[in-house]
Amino acid sequence: MFRAFDWQDLIPLAKGAWLTIQLCAMSGILGVIFGLILGIARTSPSRIARWISTIYISCVRGIPILVIIFFIFFGIPLLFPGLELDKFTSAVIALTCFAAAYVAEIVRGSIEAVSRGQSEAADALGLNYWAKLRYVVMPQARKIMVPPGVGFIIGLVKDSSLVTVTGLVELTHAGNIVTNLTGDPIMTFLTVAAMYFVICYSISLLGRLYEKRTGIQVDPLKLPEPASV
Amino acid sequence: MALYFGDLLPFSSLLLEGLWTALYITLVAMVAGSALGVFLYLGKVGPGKAVSIFCTCYIEAIRNTPLLVQLYLIYFALPALGINLEPIWAAVIGLTLNNAAYTAEIYRAGFESVPHGLREAGKALGMKNAQIVRYIVLLPATRNVFPALTNQLILLFLASSIGSIISLPELTNAIMSVSNTTYRTIEVLAVGGLLYLGVSALLSLASKRAETTLFRWAVGARV
Amino acid sequence: MTVIFVENLNKKFGPNHVLKGVDCHIREREVVCVIGPSGSGKSTFLRCMNGLESITSGSIVINKHRLDDSKTNINLVRQEAGMVFQHFNLFPHLKVIDNVMLAPLKVAKANKDEARAKAEMLLAKVGLAEKMEAFPGSLSGGQMQRVAIARALAMDPKIMLFDEPTSALDPEIVGEVLTVMKDLANEGMTMVVVTHEMGFAREVADRVLFMDQGLIVEEGSPDEIFSSPRNARTQGFLSKVL
Repeated sequence: MFRAFDWQDLIPLAKGAWLTIQLCAMSGILGVIFGLILGIARTSPSRIARWISTIYISCVRGIPILVIIFFIFFGIPLLFPGLELDKFTSAVIALTCFAAAYVAEIVRGSIEAVSRGQSEAADALGLNYWAKLRYVVMPQARKIMVPPGVGFIIGLVKDSSLVTVTGLVELTHAGNIVTNLTGDPIMTFLTVAAMYFVICYSISLLGRLYEKRTGIQVDPLKLPEPASV
Repeated sequence: MALYFGDLLPFSSLLLEGLWTALYITLVAMVAGSALGVFLYLGKVGPGKAVSIFCTCYIEAIRNTPLLVQLYLIYFALPALGINLEPIWAAVIGLTLNNAAYTAEIYRAGFESVPHGLREAGKALGMKNAQIVRYIVLLPATRNVFPALTNQLILLFLASSIGSIISLPELTNAIMSVSNTTYRTIEVLAVGGLLYLGVSALLSLASKRAETTLFRWAVGARV
Repeated sequence: MTVIFVENLNKKFGPNHVLKGVDCHIREREVVCVIGPSGSGKSTFLRCMNGLESITSGSIVINKHRLDDSKTNINLVRQEAGMVFQHFNLFPHLKVIDNVMLAPLKVAKANKDEARAKAEMLLAKVGLAEKMEAFPGSLSGGQMQRVAIARALAMDPKIMLFDEPTSALDPEIVGEVLTVMKDLANEGMTMVVVTHEMGFAREVADRVLFMDQGLIVEEGSPDEIFSSPRNARTQGFLSKVL
């Protein structure tokens, strides 16, 4: 009834990998946009902005991403009847919600890592809040964000495997389908793992290259923790 | 639509049992994984070239692949080799093997972040390398890794939800089965989410408390 | 009696030639201050004397131990040559008294009561008897450096090496550390002090070495160096710092 795992099975897996990449690119970009807003709000002088972002960040970081995926996938159609979301869109929304909170923590940590003296010097020059952020704090924080940012993207790729529960045929789900065809979970999932490894490891190599070229060196323990296991 | 939580009451013990299972596998995997991580770290920085390469490859392989795929390999692939595992053991083994790689990296970063001057001061006093590690580096390094380790504990607790995909009856699995029975999806997700949130908040609070009591010397210290 | 022989000492860090043939003999009970611009190699010179830096070529003999001989037990040399660092390097997880007792207990295998009595005596000597049970994190820089001196003295060294011991301190507390060092010099300790404190060098040193670009350019009594330096580089340096 089963046929052996062969090179043809690489095609659906490669398609799945491509979908995983698209998924992560979309939610990564959106996550960075919302995460920047949240992270700046988290360190802003406005108490309301700090509160809202703190609550959002703590909630998302304290709930498994799988539960968030279920919530977006099953909950949104119930909360907004008539709103039809395809699987890809739901997955992007779920991963974006999650990514934004982690990016926000990286942004906050990096802004705080820029020394207080820098901020005070900008204040002393009479720069207003936005000018200080734009010309003094962010240019320095941006460098500090790179190493944990690379870790975040890798985490996102790995966590995107969980949207398999929605039936979206990304890399892990493609692995399930191929396993059902071939009855060979070992070869299939070793291949799937290898594909994830290639994606993630390339990202970390690119990150290292960038760090080397820009001469960024930061103490790993002083930074926001990795986004996922 | 109106929210109604009453339908969930008969299932509260199911949810709590799920939470207990999640906590149980988290704790086992944390203890076993961080112990295994010590060996991985020692293997990686130790003198044996082959061992060091093996440990590095293991750590990189785990850190660059999803936990779900690792669990699939353990849960679906091992039976194909004639080893049958209950979901709970597959989850415990998977989380342990996963956690070991991350804790090994935490140890490495922790030891590297102890200021070089402390080792030099030990050397200048005539201490041997083993003595320097034991009496000078170990405690500051432990203090440095402590926040990262407790953070890892919380991440592991959240990651235990992935066990639901291999039909382990932990909290997320319980949430979905209550949802399928009662159709109170939003309500049960909210309750379950709050349970996760509450436990992670407690863990985080407890570790902050533990940190200040365990490492009182570090107050104001430049470590 | 000469206790430190340094002959034709060369040290390279990769392509960087930091010490280019340093010669120096130091007698027992002598206090030698090493001055010079930053990057002149004076700290490296000091760190070579207890093996914190390996020697590229040349020879160093400390108390009859040859440092360039691989059979020499470097830890024995280090017990005889105490070192005080610019950034104190106190062990943050140990109380002040335990910082001082650590090496006597673990290296010299001293008896615990004796080690404690001695540590108390040394801490009293540097004026910190009341801080014995404090952790280093709660001390001021000057207090930390005095603890570091007591810690080094606890091994009964025959020589004390000081690597810019006051450079990381606020000006108003430099004095308290220098006082302790002066007392030590008056007791007859052999001392090599890398320093920017010209006043201290002038008052306490028996001999001053001026280093520049990896060489001892000029040496002599404090009077000779500070009042009538012969070498143009010494004159240039002193005109900037004095």
